[in-house]
Amino acid sequence: MKKSIFSTLALVSICAVMAILLALTNYFTAPIIKKNQDAAADAALLEVMPNGTGFEKMDTGSYTLPKTITEVYKAANGGYVFKLETAGYAPHFVIMCGVNADGTVSGAKCISSEETKGEEKTYGEKLAGKTIDDVLAVDTVSGTTMTTAAYKNAVKDALNAAIILGGGSVDIRTPEEILADNLTQALPAGEGQFTRLFIVEVIEGIDAVYTADNGAGSVYVMGEEFIGVPTGATSENETVAAAQAVLAASEVEKIDLTAYEGLPKRLKSASKTTTGNYILEVEGAGFGIMNTEEYIHSSGEYILVRVSITPEGKIIDTLTVYQAESENYGAACAKEEFYGQFDGKTEENYREIDAISGATYTTNGYLKAIENAFKAVKILKGGAEE
Amino acid sequence: MDAFKSLLVILLSSVLVNNYVLSRFLGICPFLGVSKKLDQATGMGIAVTAVMLLATAVTWPIQYFLLDKVGLGYMQTIVFILVIASLVQLLELLLKRFIPALHKGLGVYLPLITTNCAVLGVAINNINDGYNFLQSMVSSLGVGLGFLLAMVLFSGLRSRIEESNIPKPFRGLGATLIAASFLSLAFMGFAGIVEKLFA
Amino acid sequence: MKKNGSLSVLLKGLLKENPVFVLILGTCPTLATTTNVTGAFGMGIAALAVLVCSNILISLLRKVIPDNVRIPCYIVVIAGFVTIVQMIVQAFLPGLYEMLGVYLPLITVNCIILGRAEMFAGKNNVGKSALDGIGMGLGFTLALVVMATIREVLGNASFAGIEIGFLQNYKIEFLVKAPGGLLVYGCLIALVYVITRGKAPLKKSFSCAGCPNAANCQTGTCEAPAETVAETPAANSEEGGAQ
Repeated sequence: MKKSIFSTLALVSICAVMAILLALTNYFTAPIIKKNQDAAADAALLEVMPNGTGFEKMDTGSYTLPKTITEVYKAANGGYVFKLETAGYAPHFVIMCGVNADGTVSGAKCISSEETKGEEKTYGEKLAGKTIDDVLAVDTVSGTTMTTAAYKNAVKDALNAAIILGGGSVDIRTPEEILADNLTQALPAGEGQFTRLFIVEVIEGIDAVYTADNGAGSVYVMGEEFIGVPTGATSENETVAAAQAVLAASEVEKIDLTAYEGLPKRLKSASKTTTGNYILEVEGAGFGIMNTEEYIHSSGEYILVRVSITPEGKIIDTLTVYQAESENYGAACAKEEFYGQFDGKTEENYREIDAISGATYTTNGYLKAIENAFKAVKILKGGAEE
Repeated sequence: MDAFKSLLVILLSSVLVNNYVLSRFLGICPFLGVSKKLDQATGMGIAVTAVMLLATAVTWPIQYFLLDKVGLGYMQTIVFILVIASLVQLLELLLKRFIPALHKGLGVYLPLITTNCAVLGVAINNINDGYNFLQSMVSSLGVGLGFLLAMVLFSGLRSRIEESNIPKPFRGLGATLIAASFLSLAFMGFAGIVEKLFA
Repeated sequence: MKKNGSLSVLLKGLLKENPVFVLILGTCPTLATTTNVTGAFGMGIAALAVLVCSNILISLLRKVIPDNVRIPCYIVVIAGFVTIVQMIVQAFLPGLYEMLGVYLPLITVNCIILGRAEMFAGKNNVGKSALDGIGMGLGFTLALVVMATIREVLGNASFAGIEIGFLQNYKIEFLVKAPGGLLVYGCLIALVYVITRGKAPLKKSFSCAGCPNAANCQTGTCEAPAETVAETPAANSEEGGAQ
């Protein structure tokens, strides 16, 4: 018993001695450590805002800032330093960006990234001293478009955030969010879930039609205007009413492809409307197939394009039905910004579109599919006349 | 759903990608020492997993509700190692008294785990990584399972080495380390897989 | 040349009883911090400092510490010194602190330190214990630096962060990754065996008794490459349990 009490006492006293030693060391080193940490933290901030002083971390809970912003520091001179995390070619692309009180970029620096080309290490220098419009006008660097575009957008977010923190208001929604908001506003009953309707008839004055996934109705887009029409109702707007009538009268009949000779091999299916328009589904070679004529279908790397064309050879609507292109590159062919460019084009001018940057093979495969669609329409039309 | 996904990412990355033994080199001693036979390797792996979970369950609250509260963050190492040592002692006593069968199976490994650097390592890393309590527990589980996996796989490799004719200087630890190197090489193949899986 | 006692205490740690290559202790930091020479040297010196301090204090207290609680006492002393070293490194060498990360507090569970406390400092006077600490610490540092030199020069074409021009196109990057560490370590152990053939002591008598992982190792880690291979590990788990 006595022995165990002695043992415990010895252990406790050794603990006490060590604790005192630790406390002493801590007393001397803690201020130095604190100073080092502050200096290190400020060093990163000073690099993007050389004349900044008295940086203080801000709580931005009461502001709605772009999602890329992770940390905000306010400088005594009225400027801000933002830490942003975005995604270029790879995720976890972290940038520090300083914004002066006058709304120009004081400096931008990439502090960690997994990008492949290393362009991000120096790109920030090109953005220093610029305003928001100037930033957007700086060229992306070809070959590292994804990286440099992400860089520019992050700096844009920082500039916008500075305006918001300064009491101003900026639209920080992405194009997708703006569209979703407009649709919901036009037809609240759609509950925010809409699908773009593939148009097979010529409808004058209408840019696009979205139908609510829950069947509540449709939204007609005319330029900046969004007009919601509940199911079963007829719009008061004449243009929309006319479009409704055309769409309601439209009937589609499938064409038997075996009845025709010499159709492009890649034509997968074809239909015809009562008004004589053709709806074709054509395949194009994706990046994985590199445009070779004979390709292995099972690799899955093809693009399936649906296109509606008038008998006169004018494209009404285009849609990417399937693609398996590389994310961040060719996959952009599934975006409306890309395929929407074909609307209203004819065989003469369909190649005058902006290619997908960094994805030449995908773009070429897509154009080849459209070319085949035009070819097919001619043959199908010829067959009908016989 | 997102919370669940993040837990799954933590679990899988600590089992496969950041395997403590094979890519972070924590817990090498028992890895080399007790991996000769499959049953011993399994026993050790399970015991380590259990102690890691227990250690995390105790050290996490100590760090956040005791050390940080009274500004004694710098006592972390000394407190953690003492807590782990006492926990292991306690666990062994309890097992011996109440579940003798389990003690017979796992008890022998328990006193040896006190200074397994993987256990202290996971306790400190959970704090450094800023995990919350649930994430810490999942991470400890993942690290423990990763350790178990490495032990079991390696015990299979070692039984082959024992039977081969190796140049004299490499006999024993030399060849064992080189075999471990190849196993580690295989685990490098998991790099990036977890992020892609849930991207 | 007269081989006096204290000199041999100091020198044995360098090669004959090198803690890393002969006694096979402290494997975790050996593998983890040898991707570059700077980190390896820093780790070695940090461990040396802890080793010398803990050896001195434990040797001073060896008559006071009751036998039945000596291991917890040693652990407290070591953990204390590790934290002190950690704070000093963090204050004055923040770059090194970042580089070593979690491996710095983990010096606490480095078997070399506890092993020397148990085997040497607990039984010898202060002067000898200090020398033993310096010797072992230098041996550890030397081993880490040798291994880091191989890995950094061949794997990253640089030495202590300074780039070596003509090797830039011949990097064997595998060596600075995890598997490379194990491979280099395995080869170095074989090399040291060749150099010290016959002179290397049986590990059991030097380190195992002091290593808390001793029973854990059985004949695995604490086994001399050739001499003890014949000792087959029979029913070792029972022995371990009885400990």
